[in-house]
Amino acid sequence: MTVKIVTDSLSDLTSDLIGELDITVVPLTVLFGHKKYLDRVTISTDEFYHRLIYGDIWPASTRPSPEDFANTYDKLAESADEILVITLSSLLTGTYQSAMKGKNYMKVQKCRVEVIDSQTVAMGLGLVVIAVAKEAQKGAGLDKLIAFTQEALARSHFISYFDTLKYLARGGRIGNAQGLLGSVLSIKPILAIKAGEMSPVTRVRSLATGVTYLHNFIKGFKDIESIGIETNMSLEKANELAKLLSNEYPKIPIVRSTISPVLGVYSGPDALAVTVLEKKR
Amino acid sequence: MVKQAGSLTGQELREMFAGAAAWLEKNAHDIDELNVFPVPDGDTGTNMLLTMRSSVEEAYRAPDNSASTVAKALAKGALLGARGNSGVILSQIFRGMAEDIADKDVINGDDMAKAFKEASKTAYKSLSDPVEGTILTVIKDVSSAATEKSASDGKDLITVMEVAVKAARESVANTPTLLPVLKEAGVVDAGGQGLYTILEGALQYLKGETEQMQFKKPQVITSSIPLALRLPSVAAADEVPYGYCTEIMIRGEDLDPDKIKTRLIKKGESLIVVGDDSTVKIHIHTLDPGNIIHFATGLGTIHQVSIRNMDEQHRDFVSAQKARAVATDVAVIAVVAGDGLEEVFTSLGVTAIIQGGQTMNPSAKDILQKVEQSPMDKVIVLPNNKNIILTTNQIKTLTQKAVEIIPTKTIPQGVAALLAFDYEANLETNISLMKQSIENIKTIEVTRAVRSTQIGGLNIKKKQIISLLDNELIAVGDDAAEVIMDTLDKIDLEKIEIVTIYYGKDIIRAEAEKVAVMIPDKYPKLQVEIVRGDQPDYNYIISVE
Repeated sequence: MTVKIVTDSLSDLTSDLIGELDITVVPLTVLFGHKKYLDRVTISTDEFYHRLIYGDIWPASTRPSPEDFANTYDKLAESADEILVITLSSLLTGTYQSAMKGKNYMKVQKCRVEVIDSQTVAMGLGLVVIAVAKEAQKGAGLDKLIAFTQEALARSHFISYFDTLKYLARGGRIGNAQGLLGSVLSIKPILAIKAGEMSPVTRVRSLATGVTYLHNFIKGFKDIESIGIETNMSLEKANELAKLLSNEYPKIPIVRSTISPVLGVYSGPDALAVTVLEKKR
Repeated sequence: MVKQAGSLTGQELREMFAGAAAWLEKNAHDIDELNVFPVPDGDTGTNMLLTMRSSVEEAYRAPDNSASTVAKALAKGALLGARGNSGVILSQIFRGMAEDIADKDVINGDDMAKAFKEASKTAYKSLSDPVEGTILTVIKDVSSAATEKSASDGKDLITVMEVAVKAARESVANTPTLLPVLKEAGVVDAGGQGLYTILEGALQYLKGETEQMQFKKPQVITSSIPLALRLPSVAAADEVPYGYCTEIMIRGEDLDPDKIKTRLIKKGESLIVVGDDSTVKIHIHTLDPGNIIHFATGLGTIHQVSIRNMDEQHRDFVSAQKARAVATDVAVIAVVAGDGLEEVFTSLGVTAIIQGGQTMNPSAKDILQKVEQSPMDKVIVLPNNKNIILTTNQIKTLTQKAVEIIPTKTIPQGVAALLAFDYEANLETNISLMKQSIENIKTIEVTRAVRSTQIGGLNIKKKQIISLLDNELIAVGDDAAEVIMDTLDKIDLEKIEIVTIYYGKDIIRAEAEKVAVMIPDKYPKLQVEIVRGDQPDYNYIISVE
């Protein structure tokens, strides 16, 4: 029986991919005041960013509850006896903890559920989930998939340009990038995920130089399996970069996506992120 | 509706917490803002509110209206809806309370005090490493105050709750003295504040003040100690041995979570043991999961076993990142003149500043002193003036430390070099990145001629305004704005995006703004930023990049 693959909405997977690869996505929740929206389900990325930019309520987010996961597991357990859950970094939200706790509330007891804390986020997580789902479709068993996931996560490199750190700071998820705050000059930070947290890489003064940095970051890898590019409002630059890369790497798949609303709470409306999934060594 | 709340039925208990949840809702956003512990997370108020709502919703589904049944439902709802650390602890508080009022139809002040006591015990027990100065301390203080009051002063519920709320308020105000991270941030503990708000809401309900509650808002308690200065943290995170994250559920008879906890306490870290006599859940980070499983199978049947190798996960990650290891062991020291510019460099993260510049060149000793004082063994120096580069080069022979000089000749070059610093690169790569960045930047310096002269085809009179482009005299005039525009005309602006104007100590901001608006009028593609530099000698230093 095929192992079912579960992830959360911060993997930034598009609905096409989710359907095609039979991935189940448990959404986090966006809150405007006390009005709740399911990430990418009951609020679209367009609607969210419109409200983020023009609205007067500062949004917040909350993780899925253990029950949300338990319900998902129970439903999948009707047609599978093994489930692999890959969540975003446990240092960014409590989603991993909820996914773990959800196991305790399952009604179906015979299904084996394993949860992996990816220690990364967005397409850093998304590209790995895609690869894992493909392995699952080929018929790999749960233990094999766990090993595959751990190995693939080490090959996944996520880095992002931020127009501002305002949103990240306000959301309390600034992590090691704290030192970049409070600059007198307007600077645009570039952050990477490191040991599960947002870590400063460098700073640039404009989107153009930021994109050049991201481009060079990708070119620094020798053997690339796939590339992820995602943004929210900087679509023009993202398109340019995608075009450039598809000329340079005609054989490498480039996965495009939009930064999901819950991430947008922290990234702000103008961010551009790339992920490199290296080839297996 | 004034209540004779000497005691409380289940229905009233439910309404009391519904009132408390409504009260918390008004405060949830403010509580979100307080959160600094333990993992950076801004959601404490929201999480506690959602936990409370789930708790109250479940209470409305309780099969009867006895206090014990409602309390049990409150606890169940809280457990299922628990979000965030504070939500989980809140759910344990409800669980403890429910356990204590398990056989009561109504509860009085005495019962409530006992319930608080059990709540406090349960909350503490659920964590292997309870931290003081959090919601835990608040429930503990509430419990002792309520216990004392009920022993001395009868069984009236309102009397006991009044004391409890007062104790909660004082306890919350005191959290920063117990938890340094709160003191540093100048806030009280968010979870504690949440619990206080809940109790306060409950008391208002008991006193029949629900009408007034609609027009009031709960207050965030202010810290009882003054805000401490925040120091930048330099230290890297400790390398913690991880081991295996092991989770097991045991089903059996006569299980004793306390005993199990005692037996496991030395077997690892982050131990959590929760449950009752038939089901116990264990979570532990241990180096020997086999040992834990062996122990568990001796007690009953084991279920939902999960073992994760955290070392592996960590190591894979570290090895993947090693090629671009963090360069936190490198200090950057810059030579700068002017309060504003000092601020610019400090805010961009220089380790130390040597005061100096065009007319006050620092001595080698001044520079050496800062190099020796810096906590790092590798030091990068940014001289930021062509007259200081040589002096700086001397330092290499005067110290044991590995000193590298980036030959920045101007302030904008220094800023560019500092920005190019890559936190993940090694010293060598950083030197090359920083040197490279200098080439992509142009500097305009505007000052007044100190004497009359003729140079490069320019006829300059004393005190006229002159501009230098990368240290070459390039324009002259009587109006600073015109001179700057002349200078910009001489630069190939094709690839230029940003112009940053640092205005000197003799210039007021309004003058700088006048210049700033002229630039995009003529060059609409350029983005202009004005920064107070306070530098001596130069009216304007302008970076073009």
